[in-house]
Amino acid sequence: MSIASTTQQICFLVLSATTVVGSLGVVLLPNIVYSAFLLGGVFLSVAGLYLLLNASFVAAAQILVYVGAVNVLILFAIMLVNKQETLAAIPGLLVRRLLSGAVCAGLFALLLRVAFTTTWALPGPTPVGEEATIRIGEHLFTDYLLPFELASVLLLMAMIGAIVLARRDVFSTDVITGEPADQGLIEKDRTPLLIEKSAPAPTLLSKP
Amino acid sequence: MADLFLAAASSVTTAASAAEAIASGLGTGALALQLNAGAIAPEVAVLLTLVVCLVVDLAGEKAASRWVPPICYGGLGASLVLLALQWDSPLEPSFLGSFLADNLAIAFRAVVAASTLISLLLSWRYVERSGTPMGEYAAILLAATLGAMFLCGSTDLVSIFISLETLSVASYLLAGYMKRDARSSEAALKYLLVGSAAAAVFLYGASLLYGLSGGATSLATIGVALQTSASPITALALVFVLATVAFKIAAVPFHQWTPDVYEGSPTPVVAFLSVGSKAAGFALAVRLLVGCFESFDAQWKFLFTVLAVLSMVLGNVVALAQTSMKRMLAYSSIGQAGFVMIGLVCGTEDGFSAMVLYMAAYLFMNLGAFACIILFSLRTGSDRIADYAGLYQKDPLITLGLSLCLLSLGGIPPMLGFFGKIYLFFAGWADHQYLLVVVGLVTSVVSIYYYISVIKMMVVKEPQEASDVVKAYPAITWNLAGMQPLRAALVGCVVITAVGGVLSSPLFDWASSTVAGTPILQQAIAAAAIAPLG
Repeated sequence: MSIASTTQQICFLVLSATTVVGSLGVVLLPNIVYSAFLLGGVFLSVAGLYLLLNASFVAAAQILVYVGAVNVLILFAIMLVNKQETLAAIPGLLVRRLLSGAVCAGLFALLLRVAFTTTWALPGPTPVGEEATIRIGEHLFTDYLLPFELASVLLLMAMIGAIVLARRDVFSTDVITGEPADQGLIEKDRTPLLIEKSAPAPTLLSKP
Repeated sequence: MADLFLAAASSVTTAASAAEAIASGLGTGALALQLNAGAIAPEVAVLLTLVVCLVVDLAGEKAASRWVPPICYGGLGASLVLLALQWDSPLEPSFLGSFLADNLAIAFRAVVAASTLISLLLSWRYVERSGTPMGEYAAILLAATLGAMFLCGSTDLVSIFISLETLSVASYLLAGYMKRDARSSEAALKYLLVGSAAAAVFLYGASLLYGLSGGATSLATIGVALQTSASPITALALVFVLATVAFKIAAVPFHQWTPDVYEGSPTPVVAFLSVGSKAAGFALAVRLLVGCFESFDAQWKFLFTVLAVLSMVLGNVVALAQTSMKRMLAYSSIGQAGFVMIGLVCGTEDGFSAMVLYMAAYLFMNLGAFACIILFSLRTGSDRIADYAGLYQKDPLITLGLSLCLLSLGGIPPMLGFFGKIYLFFAGWADHQYLLVVVGLVTSVVSIYYYISVIKMMVVKEPQEASDVVKAYPAITWNLAGMQPLRAALVGCVVITAVGGVLSSPLFDWASSTVAGTPILQQAIAAAAIAPLG
């Protein structure tokens, strides 16, 4: 075994261990700030795996998009909405956790079994290395042209939706009749799903 | 674990070989390659409408409420006309195999576009009454339509995923559109979480398919590759892909999101989700299962049979206990999806055309029912079934319309739904799917019980037994902006539901020519016909 392949093996093991442990931490830690930072670590180690596979463009995109944008955005959101709030205890939380743990373990066992029983076509095709960017560009303007263009519609719509949900200068009247409106469902007099049944639901009438 | 990563490694690097294949294709037949971009002309019409709506919306809310409705009618109408012009045109894959405008795609895209048009007709008054911006509402709904329409014709895993996400993200936004209402936000959050999980599962399945076919994303190529691979990993990919399809069409046990999302979302959005989104899900099911997993015919048919039986039983039985109209229609739509799946499981010519026919019938009868409950909630602010008591005294139009649509959903002759359902059961019986047909018949009877109990609530009660809401019923006026389109949609849907059954011959012709003009369905029918002999 040459030095190069040993190094590669060690890098792979370290990166995989970071990914697995980090993602377990993301899911299991109670503090959301730790989870967010660990998520950044997971994204970085996945980028490292891409580098090992000679896919440098994908690795760079992973760092730029996931670590640079998505993860930072998550951290911003956490810092902006860092409100201390004691949530009511969920009944039977332990049973629920055990159940979901069992389901996840079952799925993991299934995936492992399939991964070990399948005969993989190894080694895969040789990586194109630096040419990858050219290949991706060719794909985007030939056979993946339609999804590429459709993605712009997706982004446009996501942007509009984010603005609609976030904006504050809401008009609180019906444009046609001028009656007051509350941006809620028209169907009013039902039991709210989230709010406790004992607590009176906040209504327009209850205000003095 | 290491194997998994190595597999990922091979799938990343196989992109290179796929690129080589493309490059050689470009080299040999560069002149022959054409985009055939005309195939997506209907989608372009929807896209232009979307952009124009956004531009008009810049002029302020008053201008938007004046101009957005006619723009949407024009755009969606143009889209429907362009779809009609594509009918039976010679088949050429467009965008180098990303999209195929066969008759199946055209039929389902027409169902989607029509469901958007009718949902928009129902929406205007609702949106204005709740004080939410109208231009953006129309734009997001049109984006959802665009995603659903592309989904119906996509023949490539990447196109399928992007259009699925366009549809889903727009649906999450629409579900949470009444942002000051906790129920709406809850619906959006639940839909987002479950939907993201489903999308992740689809991606996993798609990546397995990509690896199995040696780096192909075209469904036809993957279908060929799957014929020679009988490993458990293909079964795993099938299950993952099937889970996503079942999530989109809300089949049991992937239905948990449906009741809460339907209850918390704005009602016109529910109307779109229950028809447009579901039609796109069925088109996706046909493309993936019939077009790609044809060598795993027995397996997916068995899984779909289980899903159909569970959907019919659970949807129709749980609907009995509901007190909210929207929730009842949510469970009823789960049951209806189970009926449509009978047609897909058959895999015969009759089965496929019954599926298309029932989807078209479902469009009119379900949207007609939604038109009635939207009108009722606009006038009373309620959607409890108990509040409908004694309604015939005060509002004969809603009573008549809702009764006809619910009877049609239950499958009472001579409504449109009866012919759709009888065709489905006939096709199932002819294909020896006795279990499905018997379960379908029994659950139909159950469904008739809860549909009729709503009608009984409206019609049979004496005036003094009427609910407080009905006793305080406002005077019926149609002069507000947005009420006339609502009335037009209501009357149109109810008339088609009531009369369409008797005059359904063109619909039958349309459904069978849909199947005749779709190569993947023809192949599946031919394969099914040969199988018993060989």
